Amino acid sequence: MKKSMKKAAALTLSAVMSTGLLAGCGGDSGSGTGSAAGNTGSTGSSGGAIDTSEHVDLKMYLLGDRTPDFDEVYAEINKILEEKLNCSVSVEFLGWGEHDTKYSLLFSGGEDFDLIFTASSWGHYEPTVAMGGFYPLTEEFIQTYAPDIWDVVPEVAWSQAKIDGTAYMVPNYQNEFGQDVIAVRGDLMEKYGVSQITNWDELIDFYKKCGADGQYASQGGPWYQYFQAQGYTITGGAPKGGELILYNTQDPSNLDFTYILDWEGFADYCHQMKELADAGCWSQDVLSSGDERQTGLLTGRTAGMIWNLGSCRNYAEQANKEHPEWNVALMDPVANQPKKVNSYINNGMAINVNSQNPERAMMVLNEFYTNPTINDLTRFGIVGKHWEPVGDDQFKVITTEGYGVDSNCNWGWMNAEIKRTEYKEDRTALDDTYDAMLASWESNIKEEHIYDGFNFDSTNVTVQMAAVDAVIPTYCDPLINGLVPDVDKALEDFRNAMETAGIRDIIAELEKQAAEYVESKK
Amino acid sequence: MTGKVKQKSGVKGFFKKVYKYRAFLLMLLPGVLYTLIFAYYPMTGIVLAFKKYTYAGGIWGSKWNGFENFKFFFQSGQAGLVTRNTVLYNIAFIVINTVTQIAVAILLTEIHNKHFRKVSQSIMFLPYFISWVIVGVMAFNIFSSDYGFMNRLITAFGGEPIAFYTTPKAWPFILMFFNLWKGVGYGSVMYLAAIMGIDTSIYEAAQIDGANVFQRIFKVTIPMIMPTTITLFLLSVGGIFKGNFDMFYNLVGNNGLLYNYTDVIDTLAFRALVTNQNFGASAAIGLFQSVLCFITVLVVNKLVGLYDRDYSLF
Repeated sequence: MKKSMKKAAALTLSAVMSTGLLAGCGGDSGSGTGSAAGNTGSTGSSGGAIDTSEHVDLKMYLLGDRTPDFDEVYAEINKILEEKLNCSVSVEFLGWGEHDTKYSLLFSGGEDFDLIFTASSWGHYEPTVAMGGFYPLTEEFIQTYAPDIWDVVPEVAWSQAKIDGTAYMVPNYQNEFGQDVIAVRGDLMEKYGVSQITNWDELIDFYKKCGADGQYASQGGPWYQYFQAQGYTITGGAPKGGELILYNTQDPSNLDFTYILDWEGFADYCHQMKELADAGCWSQDVLSSGDERQTGLLTGRTAGMIWNLGSCRNYAEQANKEHPEWNVALMDPVANQPKKVNSYINNGMAINVNSQNPERAMMVLNEFYTNPTINDLTRFGIVGKHWEPVGDDQFKVITTEGYGVDSNCNWGWMNAEIKRTEYKEDRTALDDTYDAMLASWESNIKEEHIYDGFNFDSTNVTVQMAAVDAVIPTYCDPLINGLVPDVDKALEDFRNAMETAGIRDIIAELEKQAAEYVESKK
Repeated sequence: MTGKVKQKSGVKGFFKKVYKYRAFLLMLLPGVLYTLIFAYYPMTGIVLAFKKYTYAGGIWGSKWNGFENFKFFFQSGQAGLVTRNTVLYNIAFIVINTVTQIAVAILLTEIHNKHFRKVSQSIMFLPYFISWVIVGVMAFNIFSSDYGFMNRLITAFGGEPIAFYTTPKAWPFILMFFNLWKGVGYGSVMYLAAIMGIDTSIYEAAQIDGANVFQRIFKVTIPMIMPTTITLFLLSVGGIFKGNFDMFYNLVGNNGLLYNYTDVIDTLAFRALVTNQNFGASAAIGLFQSVLCFITVLVVNKLVGLYDRDYSLF
């Protein structure tokens, strides 16, 4: 009797305690669904004729962080939208650190939203399409609700966006280079007697000199630079954001795919990285560090930062402003290769399949994309406060504080036809390098490879894809950053794990789809 | 016999009883509702494990696909590793936490200075309220090889710095430490309550018989709190196949180098979810864990029952 009393007491006590502990979370999730349900007030307009008599509030998700003046800028945009389309747009952000984990939850959680930024590989386009998350954009739909976009966006961009015959995003339209550069400390280059970084050997030489000096060079191994220097690039939709299976983009006649574990180049790279990591070229903590990509450069913890040309210039400028003695410069570590223009689906906008107002959402996109006033607002902010126009096709920055140029995830509706270029009064050496680099790239664009517009559709091999992608972090990231104790053994383990997870099925399916794609383009 | 009486009295009797025990039933209501809403209603989500989930179809509209979702777990080649890690970690946590919590509870009752006891109990309880996210950041600042507290300490005493984030073997200990640190104050409360419930006359009798403090603890206190201990043990065994996702994810994060020692079922499922948005596979793994846990509870409960029927849960 006594025992059972005690047992009952223990049970009750622990039940009460765990209830108390769960009540906190329970309350949260409860109110969350409540507010989501409360938002579903708007109803769809009747299809066919464009009827905007009913006012709707659209919700849009963008990537990144909300800048201080963001709401002020979008209030201006909403004034125009209210007048033209009888609707308004409210924007939520998915931060850089969280979009990988939260993007899919927006769809599965039944979040009520209409528009969302997307991008091939890095912006979750292919997996979300595979899960049926985006509203299909048929030609008729685009022509009806976004006729101006239809006029501007070239055929090739739509065909890149198509997965199994249907486009699910409005791709951006601009020539953006898919080539990262390095923003590097000029004072350290001088100190180490390095005059330029234009190829792999010079890059590695600089890294080693940094390591020998007790200065971190970067926040990890320059894997992209290695394969890009050899002409390779990632395959859209393949595992690990396309990095696991490469193709030679510089040689249009080469239709082979290169699975990195069958490629001696990857082993060679891993051995080199092991050497660099052991030499202290980057921190042993890179895999666990929560640092942003630019943190190392801006704080002086690393000598360089590898990113796209635009980001490199922005952060180099910021670093130079805060530490003029650093003299941060831009270098192209893959200077010998003709440049690849990013596919147009490297940025884009999609409509949520569960949107109540896909038509209105498309009309809003049409405005963002082709209305110069709105497009300029999203790119630069408010005239007179953040920037002012110079002629019809240039802009002058008044201040980058509060909003910044092209830093508010406005990339989904970049439109080369109305894109203003920058007019600068007091130019720095950085601006000259930037312009010179861009000019030389533009005169050296590589030949189109048929796979540049190809996207792998993983629907038939979801199990293998899930297994491969879940296993990759265990083996691949340590190898890429040279942090494994024994490279050959790690490679062997990695190879075996991939075989078990079904990489061969994925490669077979990829090759089948690629062959069909090539056939369809003939 | 009672069943017969109930049947005879019928519906009317039932309402009579409801009325008679209305106060008790009202007190029970929040708990029942809570369990229904947060434990039973979400269970309908189990169907996801057998469906090819799409966003457009949602939970109910998506197509069935049999046992396809379960393939992922075994195909990944990590099933053995993560199951082993999960179970071993949980056994370690259960053993270490139970022993420490009982020890702490006993020590606290032996402290006679009331203020000191209250203060030390509060301090031990405090980590329970710190979120694992914060603990993850704290851990990084302690163990980082560049500016970590631990390595500063080691070098100050002339030792060689240890790169914790590239040394997988250190992590079982780090994880056990944080788990204990966070749970000890909270867990000891229940043992404390059990000890408080022991009849003081037993201690007096023991003292008269000449028992010293150790004999008092080992011959009186511990046997007396055995029922509580076993009940709590059974409850924690119920979760032996479930990894504490918050802890593993926040302390280890995306550091694949440590996965051989730190990857648990839940973190593997999580990766399938976020990189491939594979909801079906995650649901299947969840179901797999639940079934294993259910079987474990039944078996262990049976075993405990064989030892002493009074100790078993049901």
